Amino acid sequence: MTPASPPPAPAGAADADMVDALRRALPFVSLGPDLLSRVAAIARRESLGPGRRIYNAGDASDDIYIVLSGSVQHTFGAEVGAKDALRILVPFEVFGWAALLEDRPGRLATATTLQHAELARINGEELMQLLSADPAAGQAVMNSFATLINTHYTVPETRARVREVVRLPAASRRALPSAGEMSALQLNLYRISLWLKSPKPYLMIVGFIIFIGLWYYASEVWKLPRFKEMPGPTVVVKEWFNPDPAYGLSVYTPEYYTHIWNSVRRVSIAFVLATALGVPFGLFLGWSPKFREYVFPVFETLRPIPILAWVPLAILMFTQTESSVIYLTFLASFFATALNTMLGVQSIDESYTRAAACLGASKWQVFREVIVPGSLPFVFTGLQISVGVAWFSLVAAEMVSGQYGLGYVINTSYTDVKYPTIVIGMITLGAVGYSTSALVRLLGDHLMQWRVRELALGAR
Amino acid sequence: MAVKMTSGGTDATKGAIRIDDVVKVYDPDGAAVMAVDHCSLDIAAGEICMIVGPSGCGKTTLLNAIAGFHSISSGAIYMDGEMLCGPGKPIAEPGSDRIVVFQNGALFPWKTNLENVAFGPLMQGKLSKKEVYEKARAMMADAGLSGTEHNYPGEVSSGLRRRVEIVRALMNDPKVLLFDEPYRALDSLTKSVMHEALLDIYYRNKVTIFFITHDLEEAIFLGHKMVIMTTRPCKPKKILTIDIPHPRDYSVLTSRRFRELMEETSGAVHEEARKAFAAGEKEG
Amino acid sequence: MKKSSGSFWKWFGSRQARRAIFSLVLFVLLWELASRSKAWFGVETPWIGKIPAPSAVLLSWSGLVGDMSYWQSWVMSGMRVLSGFFAAMIIGIPLGLAMAVSRTFHGVAFPTFEVLRPIPPLAWVPASIIFWPTQEMSIAFVTFLGAFYTVVINVVGGARSIDVRYFQAAQAMGSSQWDIFRRVVFPAALPSIVVGAAVGMGITWEVVVAAEMISGGGSQSGGAGGGLGFFIWNSYLGGSYEQIVVGMISIGIAGFICSEALRHFGSYLTPWLKRR
Repeated sequence: MTPASPPPAPAGAADADMVDALRRALPFVSLGPDLLSRVAAIARRESLGPGRRIYNAGDASDDIYIVLSGSVQHTFGAEVGAKDALRILVPFEVFGWAALLEDRPGRLATATTLQHAELARINGEELMQLLSADPAAGQAVMNSFATLINTHYTVPETRARVREVVRLPAASRRALPSAGEMSALQLNLYRISLWLKSPKPYLMIVGFIIFIGLWYYASEVWKLPRFKEMPGPTVVVKEWFNPDPAYGLSVYTPEYYTHIWNSVRRVSIAFVLATALGVPFGLFLGWSPKFREYVFPVFETLRPIPILAWVPLAILMFTQTESSVIYLTFLASFFATALNTMLGVQSIDESYTRAAACLGASKWQVFREVIVPGSLPFVFTGLQISVGVAWFSLVAAEMVSGQYGLGYVINTSYTDVKYPTIVIGMITLGAVGYSTSALVRLLGDHLMQWRVRELALGAR
Repeated sequence: MAVKMTSGGTDATKGAIRIDDVVKVYDPDGAAVMAVDHCSLDIAAGEICMIVGPSGCGKTTLLNAIAGFHSISSGAIYMDGEMLCGPGKPIAEPGSDRIVVFQNGALFPWKTNLENVAFGPLMQGKLSKKEVYEKARAMMADAGLSGTEHNYPGEVSSGLRRRVEIVRALMNDPKVLLFDEPYRALDSLTKSVMHEALLDIYYRNKVTIFFITHDLEEAIFLGHKMVIMTTRPCKPKKILTIDIPHPRDYSVLTSRRFRELMEETSGAVHEEARKAFAAGEKEG
Repeated sequence: MKKSSGSFWKWFGSRQARRAIFSLVLFVLLWELASRSKAWFGVETPWIGKIPAPSAVLLSWSGLVGDMSYWQSWVMSGMRVLSGFFAAMIIGIPLGLAMAVSRTFHGVAFPTFEVLRPIPPLAWVPASIIFWPTQEMSIAFVTFLGAFYTVVINVVGGARSIDVRYFQAAQAMGSSQWDIFRRVVFPAALPSIVVGAAVGMGITWEVVVAAEMISGGGSQSGGAGGGLGFFIWNSYLGGSYEQIVVGMISIGIAGFICSEALRHFGSYLTPWLKRR
């Protein structure tokens, strides 16, 4: 019987560390990423101090073990007939494989921790079940175990015959789709289910409660001196959802939506223009050293000038307020987009362009097939930054000059002493800004399916 | 399936390479650094030539010169009698007759395996799209890669990626395949599988192979000829023919001839490795 | 800008420098032409035609160089930037590191942080004015916010991407939790902290200028004066359009100096990042 030791941690969702560790363990080296993550999902972690007995020779053998960190001493009993009775095992080595032997013997050796060790435990039966879902890959794993036992443990072959992976009848096989078959929707649902099972959503709620709670108490209950004039959350919410708002703006008033629409319209026009001009400009900057050497210095001279410093000039240039506001927003977005696109092109590993050249692609084909897709990740990061910067500039521009729009609302609510409306404006701004960012990110994920899968499955 | 052969190729017009007294000098900030020092080498058509040498010795520079990514300072390189680069033409033009398989792999992550394999012929436009994809599917099936056509490279194991990359190269009927330590990052179990896969592919498609490695076992197992390079600046220190008969499989590793060759060569390789280590060379 | 290594004068003679100078000179010439086109050719260039010409700007600037209040604006803006920036670093870095180290703290604090982040700092100006006693402090708060978000995001990102093997190595060598934090987490996160600081610095300038214009100009009157943002707005109201451009260029230069100083300081802190 195994001596008292802390119970192993329950199997959680597959975590990246476990997948990474398993990949380094010899028997699992040939596994594809989806099967690997499923094996990782059934693995449990155990943490033991130094000199602790893991199991004794003769004990029942249910689990196989993998050393994650620390070291383990492994001593065969004399009757096993192994050439080297004593082994010291270090991270990513596998032991306890008696759980996988045909005749289901007890433990062949005694295992003790040498230093403090983190171990992964995988139940032998569960593993066999899992592997039978993909018999070809599964048998490869069992073959690897056999090789491992022979070469590393020097146990005579007759003593250690590893089980065969049996193809279970279709009814009892858990039909899990392989990675290539999982659609983007299924992947997202899977990730959401992982998230819900973790403590994250609950901590998040705790965080919100603390924040709103502090605000509430400070402004409405304790009435702290600084918060004297600050509207509290209840006041704001009441006003926001009031069919007849005291200060004129709530979800029921059409003006609310007019303001939102104006801001969104301006940001959209500016963003689209900035992207349409900035991406090609940036691609070209990255692609052609000649162009870059001529144009980039001018670009970099203009870029550090804060966008708002352009306001008076914009007013001079564009007599119409509307155009000047859009111009300012555009400018901010343009710089961010162009710069990030250029960095994206420069970040492409030269192996890719070289490989394409080797394979007979012309310069234009290399641009189209390698440079453009290869820089997409950076381009989309740039676009997300660009949207954020666009909102930043827009709000500022609206506060200084403009009619309608959320920035205008916030500003005038202050001068007209309609304080709760300020907060309504801020919250709305945050929500709308976030949605636009999310839209850009979703578009990026859709265009870069390859990256989403790569990241989701943790493959390398 | 495979043809029994001992060394060299049978088709003299397909990918024989002659490196003729090549010198390459880099000039970062005025400090002239010689990477290749009057290197001369002959590789027969259809031969597997293994280039072994310590890190940073300049063997990749030689590969890049053949492929057309780097220029040479003097000397010339010929393929099948035609000059790739030399006097008046310091840098060769990259082309699909000499395809490189890169160290960290260069499968385009944004294309599926099938799209990657089809890339070369599609770009060159000599076959119709339908024909290209048919050929691609067939070649992938030949190499045991059916079922992974619609995966992205990021979703499959690195061993599989390497094989896809080789198939991608072979789609273009290259004369020479240039390997730049492609299996360096793989563990020994996967490596041994890769070696047998490579030989299998080689037996079906006779190409010249120029293979850089620092792994002596790999060199003896795969090659017809082995060239041991000195540390930077590199030139051939020792050339020997590996007369173990083809086709080879992993039992070769324990044969007597294999051990003899290891004895013959490990001294020379080790000596150069120590020199490189003392000079503080960084792995390239 | 890519510079070949070596001294500044060596770069000056290089091809890159020649092309850069050529472009900049060309840019200024075209600008001059476009601005003066009405006077010289009778046809006004759209938009650019209304901008004062570089020659006029230079003239105006030479006049301002002797003016004390011009330099005072520099100092005022600079002080605001630095105070907001340092506040953001002092609060942001520990917060970011705490979020990176403790999963629980991250789970509680990060979502709230992320919800507040999309609200542009300038939208906080009125709320800030209501809350803080002096206008100076309200500008400082908004400035702080601008850099704060960037710094935290970069620190969290940098600390979380530390290779797990560094931790394992430290543990195997017997380090305590605090030791690991001090000697592994903090130095490894340093490059990201530096990047966050550099970007945050740029944002700080934006916010300071905006805040100065909004509170000094805009619809609010009086209050904190001075600063380059206020200078620009005032020049616009006063009709001295050349000074607007002077102000813009001044801010650009000031921002550039700060970023460069920061980058050099960052290199000093992370010598191991220098490429061989």
